[in-house]
Amino acid sequence: MLRQETRDAGIAVLLGEGVRKAEERAARYDKAATWAVWSFAGVAIGILAFIIGTIFFRGITTALTPSFVFGKPQAIQAGGGIWPMIVSSFYLAFLTIAIVLPVGVGAAIYMSEFAKEGWITRLVRFGADSLSTVPSVVFGIFGMVIFVIYFGLGYSLLAGALTLTLLNIPTVMRTTEEAMAAVPHSYREASMGLGASRWETVKKIVLPSAMPGITTGTVLTVGRIVGESAAIIYTVGLFVRKIPTSPLQPAAPMAANIWHMYTEGALVSDWMRVANGEAAFLLIVVLVLNLLARLLAKVYQKKLGTKEAR
Amino acid sequence: MTQGNVKLERSPYPYTGQVVIERAATQPNVCDARVKIELRNLGLYYENFKALEDINLHIMCNSITAIIGPSGCGKSTALRSLNRMNELIEGARVEGKVIMDGENIYERDYRVVRLRKRVGMVFQRPNPFPKSIYDNIAFGPRLFGVRERNILDCIIEESLRRAALWDEVKDKLRDSALTLSGGQQQRLCIARVLSVQPEVILLDEPCAALDPIATQRIEDLLSELKNEYTIVTVTHNMQQAARISDFTAFFMIENQGEPGRIVEFGETSKIFTNPDDERTEEYITGRFG
Repeated sequence: MLRQETRDAGIAVLLGEGVRKAEERAARYDKAATWAVWSFAGVAIGILAFIIGTIFFRGITTALTPSFVFGKPQAIQAGGGIWPMIVSSFYLAFLTIAIVLPVGVGAAIYMSEFAKEGWITRLVRFGADSLSTVPSVVFGIFGMVIFVIYFGLGYSLLAGALTLTLLNIPTVMRTTEEAMAAVPHSYREASMGLGASRWETVKKIVLPSAMPGITTGTVLTVGRIVGESAAIIYTVGLFVRKIPTSPLQPAAPMAANIWHMYTEGALVSDWMRVANGEAAFLLIVVLVLNLLARLLAKVYQKKLGTKEAR
Repeated sequence: MTQGNVKLERSPYPYTGQVVIERAATQPNVCDARVKIELRNLGLYYENFKALEDINLHIMCNSITAIIGPSGCGKSTALRSLNRMNELIEGARVEGKVIMDGENIYERDYRVVRLRKRVGMVFQRPNPFPKSIYDNIAFGPRLFGVRERNILDCIIEESLRRAALWDEVKDKLRDSALTLSGGQQQRLCIARVLSVQPEVILLDEPCAALDPIATQRIEDLLSELKNEYTIVTVTHNMQQAARISDFTAFFMIENQGEPGRIVEFGETSKIFTNPDDERTEEYITGRFG
């Protein structure tokens, strides 16, 4: 009998009061959770906006002055420009990409298409993941010891590019691997079913399909290289004011130069203006590169006929 | 698409001897012997799991052989063993023989590339490459060194016509293949297979992802194509097997974890009207599976 009563009570709750309460509770929590996640997102955006705002506020007018962008740096007078630094940054990025792309993409092809899952692949992934957690200043010191001193490259763009290659191989490899893993297996089956070898399949089907991902990854890597300072202040140089003409020459890329200006740039009276202007310009470059990455991904997707991003 | 002067008698199964038929000059794909592919004691393992055991099957020239059976009985696996697509799966291992035109395709020095050119495959889900319609079909011929534009044009038109797709796409060959409907994509995949002049076409539930009208078109197409090719298709659809196939193989697993085996193989008319094995009858009449 007791059982019967308990059951009736349960049904009463389910048919009446209980449902209304549950609804109210759900609505309340839903609201609270929405507010919470919204404000966390707000904090993230707020911090970003604050940083970008501050840098632009301090340096945007300088950064957009042609005589500053295309001007020569000054050693002791005020009114210097940053053209050699801009050239150095892109020279360094170009050199690094030229080394890191073949190595990283090649490794990714091996990992995703040829390697059998086993201790080798696990070791490579573990190595890459470990490498990507090493602070960049450590790479800087390593690059100085190995490339600058031991290999005798001296402070040079090449030494910097090799150091940055070590720094960026893990990300290039992993983003490429992910892009290739996102290519449907059915494409590979179709290709090999027609008699294509594994390499032909990679070359003609997998790589073209993975191109949006690889391109985006590459452009973002350029952004990281241009923005990197710790790894290059020990390998490329700091206070060079010449436009570099060979990979074996030292140079002062923007990020390193900003650091130099702030720490020891007091020789020129307007060092603050130069550093802030350079920072704003660097930020613009990185933002443009990020937008370019998105744009390229869209263009490729259109070309491949896949409207939605995979 | 002439039928040529070759008439196939729909008779002797089990296969008893080599019946040599006249080779039509216009039809290089018509083979001399009645049996195109013979599976002899084929067994297949994935790692330690035995997926197929003791598969013996004769696949006749210029006919449609349907493989039916409940899910997980190894139908697709058996189909994929005919052009060694199972090798793409790590840990797959084959025992026994698959003899095509007198040669064991699992022989160590047998060329897989040539095999896959001769034995094309169409998959369950249409899988066109994210390229133009033209480039999809040109992919195979280009692999084998066809570069001249006018020859490629020819091959592409021919393949699309055979796949009954030409009229629908002739004005938009440069469009992405992914803009086509599911049924069109599947016919494109068939055209892509035809482009490399195969002898055998394997289809793994080619209509599973299609609506009834698209299915109807594919079925018509297959009935047309069997005049020139040997066709093997896996299907879940009993009516489809009964409608289009000449021979039917019924696969089954006795218990979970056991390998798939052939319960019965014979002419479709016999399997569907008067099967020898009562399990076949039960399956066909829908009592399980």
